[in-house]
Amino acid sequence: MRDGVRGHRMDHQDGAGVTITVMVVDDHPIWREGVARDLTERGIHVVATAPDADAAVRIAVATRPQVVLMDLFLGATSGVQAIAGILAKLPATRILVLSASGEHTDVLDAVKAGAIGYLVKSAGADELLAAVRRTAEGIAVFTPGLAGLVLGEFRRIAGTPAAGPTPALTERETEVLRLVAKGLTARQIGERLAVSHRTVESHVQNTLRKLQLANRVQLVRYALEQGWADEWADD
Amino acid sequence: MTVSSVAVLERPLEALWRGLLIYRVLTLVSAVAVILYMLEDYATQVGAILVVAVMCGWTAVTGYGYFGGLPGARDLRGRLALVDLAVTVAIMATTPLVQTAAQVGADAPVMGSVWTSGPVLALALAGGVRGGLAGALVVSAALLLVQARPERELGDVQLLFLAGLTVGFAATVLLRSAERLRRAVASQAAMAERDRLARAVHDGVLQVLGYLRRRGAELGGDAGELGRLAGDQEFALRGLLVTGPAPVDVHGRHDLAAGLRALGSPRVTVSAPAHAVYLPAHAVDELVAVVAAALANVAVHVGVDAPAWVLLEDLGTGVEISVRDEGPGIPAGRLADAAAQGRLGVTRSIRGRVLDLGGEIRCETGSGGTEWIIRTERA
Repeated sequence: MRDGVRGHRMDHQDGAGVTITVMVVDDHPIWREGVARDLTERGIHVVATAPDADAAVRIAVATRPQVVLMDLFLGATSGVQAIAGILAKLPATRILVLSASGEHTDVLDAVKAGAIGYLVKSAGADELLAAVRRTAEGIAVFTPGLAGLVLGEFRRIAGTPAAGPTPALTERETEVLRLVAKGLTARQIGERLAVSHRTVESHVQNTLRKLQLANRVQLVRYALEQGWADEWADD
Repeated sequence: MTVSSVAVLERPLEALWRGLLIYRVLTLVSAVAVILYMLEDYATQVGAILVVAVMCGWTAVTGYGYFGGLPGARDLRGRLALVDLAVTVAIMATTPLVQTAAQVGADAPVMGSVWTSGPVLALALAGGVRGGLAGALVVSAALLLVQARPERELGDVQLLFLAGLTVGFAATVLLRSAERLRRAVASQAAMAERDRLARAVHDGVLQVLGYLRRRGAELGGDAGELGRLAGDQEFALRGLLVTGPAPVDVHGRHDLAAGLRALGSPRVTVSAPAHAVYLPAHAVDELVAVVAAALANVAVHVGVDAPAWVLLEDLGTGVEISVRDEGPGIPAGRLADAAAQGRLGVTRSIRGRVLDLGGEIRCETGSGGTEWIIRTERA
């Protein structure tokens, strides 16, 4: 049944009708239990919780949640590590970062590693519920802060001389990202640019995908420079 | 920190000791060559060769000792240098026995000649300026005693004292700076560890404050007020942790992103790149002041709880800052009226500052809100 839920492409309209399975990863029991309770009360199926990166990967493989709520600071281990570990084994998992520490480089690394959304922990329970629903549908959950980080990262990539083509944003994508960073909602942006808010969301989505791609391109380029490709070929 | 740099910190004088070895061997070669060249002049050729043999043997012994001593043993180089001094003086004392009266009278070099300066340098390395001067004093005294015309040796005496003084001083300075560097490295490591521990503690505090804020908002009433207060503290602490003291680059420029993030609050969202945006310290101070003034303006004209958004973009050639609110907008002509009435608030604190920096500022206002866009170029 779980696999059935995972395979089902949920629509915006009836998304609330299908039970979403969630795993909560947080090193603080007070949060882990609090968030799990809030979500359970609102009809989300919390299938597992985990206190650190290693447990998160192990338990995710065993329970196969649709959405993982990930804290970035997990005691001695890091959430970025856990994100990479989970996505390596279960690429279809959607990961929403829920962080208190506001470490912007960590947030950016998490998104590069494959997280598709970011929410600060002080967000209310209803806001969290909405974010989990959107994440389950594969829609990016963006805060203005995250948009500012992604925008800054693309500008940084564009500013550094690269040895080859690196994914860049289109003018429209940059425009949308700037408006998100300035605090406008998808609907407000849609009105301003005379497009639907879905179009706005898909632009935002693309920026994330390109950032992850750029990250991969950079990693591969680095590996080639270091001569690792031969070692891989030998494996 | 590499292994070799640790070794330099632990034993900063090793290079000088190795230099001393080379000096010893070179002076031995030169002294022995002179003796062998003039061998026929000596009162006793066997005696002269015996002295040469002792010099060679002793150079080998001290060479081994000075090169780092017996492995695992205590550093006994200071004591070896004292023995070295005694042996050297003994070699010099053989001069009247080995040389003829004619040689001594003709001011032939003392037995050992330039080689005898070795223990002065060794003592200087082992005992600093005082060691160097003591060594120079003893060797000079021996020199003046065995030579027939002491007044001719004053130049050598000067050189001996100069060598003892400078090498001793260099050794002292090297030891002191290595000690300072060692202390700096240790305190840096301690700071990093404290940071790591503090991060865990602060993260815990942030978690609890964030939780209070969230639960407070859900419960409402008095609990809501407590939650709001907890939220303010959470923001302040997070800003402090992320921002820290404004980071400064090697040119003394400050990070504008860190400066602007410090203005964040539950009602003010600040978005900026993850990397530092360095600008001259003065420009950073002014731009932060401009944004603070614009945010204060939002609080006055839109409401104390009105949300506002700040976006910093690093365009490479310059920076662009946007400060946006969703208030009713600024009626046309109001800024000009205020300026005409002598209320220069916005004009002076926002426009004036930006123009002084050589930047541009424009204001887009309408029923959807107000956005200030500030742009400055990098020099």
